This record gives sequence, structure tokens and C-alpha cells, in this order.
Amino acid sequence: MKHIALVTLIAATAIALPLFIGENPYIIGILISVLMMAALSSAWNILGGYAGQYSFGHAAYFGAGAYTTLIMLTLFNTLNPVICILVGIVVASLIALMTGSIVFRLRGHYFGLASIAVAEIVRLSVLNFECTGGAQGILLTDISLWGLDLNSKNPFYYGMLLVLAVTLAITAYLRRSKTGYYLQAIREDQDAAASLGINLSFYKNKALLISAALTSVLGSLYGLYIRFIDTSAVLDLRLSIEIILTAIIGGVGTLWGPVVGAILLVPLAEILRSNLLGEALVKAGLVSETSGIGIFLKENLAHAHVLVYGIITVLCILYLPKGILGLYRRKQ
Amino acid sequence: MSFLQPLLSGILTGGVYALAGIGMSLVFGVMNISNFAHGDLMMLGMYMAYFAFTLLHIDPYLSLVLIIPTAFFFGFMLEKLFINRVIHHPHQNQILLTIGLGLIMSNTALLAFTSDPKILTTTYSSSAFNLPGDISISLPLLLSFLITCVIISILYLFLAKTSTGMALRATSQNREAAQLMGINVAKMSAIAFGIGTALAATAGALIAPTYYIHPLAGHSFLLKAFTICVLGGLGSVVGAGVGGIIIGVVEAMSSTYLSTDWKDVIVFVLFLAVLLLRLEGLFGKKGGR
Repeated sequence: MKHIALVTLIAATAIALPLFIGENPYIIGILISVLMMAALSSAWNILGGYAGQYSFGHAAYFGAGAYTTLIMLTLFNTLNPVICILVGIVVASLIALMTGSIVFRLRGHYFGLASIAVAEIVRLSVLNFECTGGAQGILLTDISLWGLDLNSKNPFYYGMLLVLAVTLAITAYLRRSKTGYYLQAIREDQDAAASLGINLSFYKNKALLISAALTSVLGSLYGLYIRFIDTSAVLDLRLSIEIILTAIIGGVGTLWGPVVGAILLVPLAEILRSNLLGEALVKAGLVSETSGIGIFLKENLAHAHVLVYGIITVLCILYLPKGILGLYRRKQ
Repeated sequence: MSFLQPLLSGILTGGVYALAGIGMSLVFGVMNISNFAHGDLMMLGMYMAYFAFTLLHIDPYLSLVLIIPTAFFFGFMLEKLFINRVIHHPHQNQILLTIGLGLIMSNTALLAFTSDPKILTTTYSSSAFNLPGDISISLPLLLSFLITCVIISILYLFLAKTSTGMALRATSQNREAAQLMGINVAKMSAIAFGIGTALAATAGALIAPTYYIHPLAGHSFLLKAFTICVLGGLGSVVGAGVGGIIIGVVEAMSSTYLSTDWKDVIVFVLFLAVLLLRLEGLFGKKGGR
């Protein structure tokens, strides 16, 4: 009962949040990023956390959704974006089936390497084809959906929230279902699972398909929201790593871990990227704006968020390999 | 254009790739770890050569005398401080740790050296000499290849003849058995990682005169080094050497006969084909399926 009350409270807060913030586009923008990363990481978690298959190539499915949607809308600009999102799912699922048929035969080091290789082939192909805009990317000028004001950020806030809720609901259902138990058995010991008659390839592919479809929907939403995509934004290896890192910091293989990870990591990256930290240090009188250190911070702190990601990754693997929720669970 | 031209430049470039691949393969063999920071270690080698040239006015090839011991020490300490703590962890944790270390290195370089690409121009950077049949060979590429051959020979003698080399090979073959025979496997891991780092930095320094030097330059070499290792069989030093040459030739051939844009795609397709058809690689010991 306590659990249900808590979930209801979180959901109600999330739904009501934009009303309190009003129309501050900056804060809403950060919240959308938090929701998106939480959903991406949760979708990855179905495959990586529960089935134990650490995919290092999830950017491919995100990019598949984003590119499919934007290419279709550039070709037929009166099309309903929902149709594009559905086609995006089909494209991502096809890539997932192809990936699955290759990578699931491999284990350990080989699995991780192969998943990177497949994602890199997708990225380089998109970069080299003409219809995808190549290195210039795709810019979308105008979209319409059921008369919604898509220049406001609120529809995207609720869109991301909806996908996150669906992803969490699927995860919560899966982990107590037959499929979920099979996946966890595969994670713990593949050979033992196979010897009990679990069809390894079928269940791994099932987890990958669910995960890839959800990731592709998020890619489509991102494309519609930003309206400009290129390979470095939606297909880069860095995105795949950020997705995994978010899950690791929160707790891999836990329902809420990815959400916790995103709540911590995304605002942190934003603070560093927008130089809020540098400004705060100047305001607090710790650093003078015109001094060497002040200028250095102003010019360079914006790049530093990836450095901080690196430091957090190292510390997390060494001291907190089960993530924040893993720590909480151990104390219980 | 003659068929021999891409073949020859492919072999020469492949020699340097082989050096990077051998470093990674040695680390994998001895420690059973895929080192995702390998490309960034190469990038550090490129910058070391660059600064040795601009600040100390040392020729990039001569600066190897400084770079190799520095990089060995750096790798040795990296292993002692970080890598050995995850040696018994699941693969994904090892991968993420080395990715994290790589991110720290590349982004520290980005802060320290800015994102402007640097170019190391020596007096002989663009000199080349012609062979009969319209084939031209770039001098820096040839020098790099010759130095690579010398280093690989020294490494081979070290692994084959010295007692440390033998202990390294024993650890690579069977860690537990090596430990039972009284080999200090923790020390061997640190030495292997030091040698791997030194080889990566050397490869970086050797390509510095012919490439743009950039903090994120390691990324593309990382995936190439993996392809080379898998092609030759993860853990096999000889295999990585041959793998490097093969990748160099495949790249040069596909640039010449297909297009430069698709050469990386072809390398990755080759990589997947090897994983599917012959997981143990060309010279690997046993499969990891």
C-alpha cells in the first residue's frame, strides 16, 4: 500500500510540475532532458539490467527513431507525426533484429564489442547516405499535431513523461512475469538457463525488441522537440555510454535506478554546460571574474561535463558498482 | 593507378596499426580486460611527440626514447591505481572503468590543449620517393614502418627469451597455474599494462607527423585496434601483428577502389564477419563463446 501511495505521489508531482514552473522554458527544457534520459536508461535497463546483456549501441535505435521521423516529415510535411513514430518503431525493430541475430551469439567482451560495431555501422551509413542529410543533418521547419501548440515545450514534457511511465510500467510488469524471470535467469547463468529449457535467443531478442522500440519512440520525440538532428547528436557512441552510465549510477537491474541516475546526472551536466558553477563561484566572491582562474573557468567549464562524467564513472565502478539504489538495498 | 600503390601504403600504415593492436592484445591476453582507453593512450602519445617537437625541438621519431619509458610508467601506475581493482569484476564493469579513464584523459586533453587540431610538420613530412612503376612512398610512413618493425622484434625477443617475458606468457596462458608456479601475477598485469600503454603511445607518436593531433583522435583508433585484435585472435600477439597489416591493406584498397567515406564501414563489417565466422580469430587459442 505504501508503495502505491508513493508512486501516485511521484506521478502527481510529475504531472503538476509544469503548472508550478509556469512558462520558464529553461527549467522545462532541463526537466524534459531528465525525463528523456530516465526513459532511455530504463528502456536500456530491460535488456542490460534484467537480461544482463550490456548493449553499448543503443544510440542506433534512438537515431533510427529520430531520423525516420524527420526524414518522413521533410518528405510529406502534412503527415501526422504519430504515424512517423510508428514507422520509426518498425525501422528500429528491424535494426534490432539484425543486431540481435549477430550479437546474441557472442558473450562477454565479444558481445560489447559487436554491439558497438553494429551501432558504428549504422552511424557511418547515415553519415554517408544522401537522403539523411549526411554530416549536415536534418532541419525541420514546421510541424503540426492535432492543433497542439508545438512551439511550447509542455507537450513534449508530457510526451516524455508518458513514455517514461509506459517504460516503467512494462519493466514493473516484466520483472514479475515469466519472461522477466527467464531474463533474470539468463543474466545469472546462461548455460544453466539453457539447460532448464529456456530459449536463450528468443528471450534475449524479445528484451532487445521491447527496449529498442521504446528507445526509438524517445528518438522520434527528441527529433520533433529539437527539430534538428545530426549523427553526433543522436547516433554517437557517447550517447550509448551516457545511457548506461545513468543506469549504473542509479542501480542496474532496479526499477527506479535509471530514474534516480537521470535526476542526478542530467542537472549536473546542465550546470556544468551552462557555466552556472563558474557564475556561482564568481558571485560568492571566491573567484574574480577577470582573474586568470575566472577566465579559464568561463571558457572551459562548458566542456568539463564529459570530464566529470568520466570521473563519476570511475568512482562509481570502484566504490559503488551496484549504484545508489544498490547501496540502499544492501543497508536494508 | 597501379594495384601495388594501395597495397604498399596499406602495408606501411598497417604496421603502425599493428603496434597499437599488439599493445591491446597483450593487455587482453595477460589481464583478460578489453582496454577502452587504448585510443586515448595513443592520443597522449601523439601529444607527447608534438610537445617534444615544439618545446624541446626533438625529432618525433627520436622522442620515442623519452615517450616509451614515460608511457610505460604511466600505464604501470594506471594499472596499480585503477585497473587491478576490477580484474575480478564482470566484463561490463571493466569496460566502463576503462571508458571512464579514457573520457578523463581525452577531456583533460581538451581542457589543457583546446580542441584546435595541431599539426606536427617536420622538414621531411611531405617528402616521398618514387619507385619504378609510378609508385610513390611517403618518407614518414616508411620510417614509421621501419621503427615499428624494430620495436616488434625487440618485443618478440623480450617475450621469447627473458624470464619476465616468459612469466608474462605463462600468465597469459593460465593465470591460476602461473600463480601456483610462483609468478607474481599482479606484477605481471601491471607490466603488461605498462607495455600496452607504451606501445599505444609509440603508435600515436609514429602517426603524429602524418595525422591531425586532436584530443578526440583516439576514438577512431580504438575501434580499429579492437578490430585488429579480434581479427588476429584476442590475446595473440602474432595475430595482432598480421591483423594490423590486413586492416591497413583493406582500408587502403577500399579507399582506392570504393570510396574513402565507406572504408570504416568495411572495416567494421569485416570485424563482424570475423566474430561470426571464426571467433577465435586467425591465430587465437580458444573460442570465447
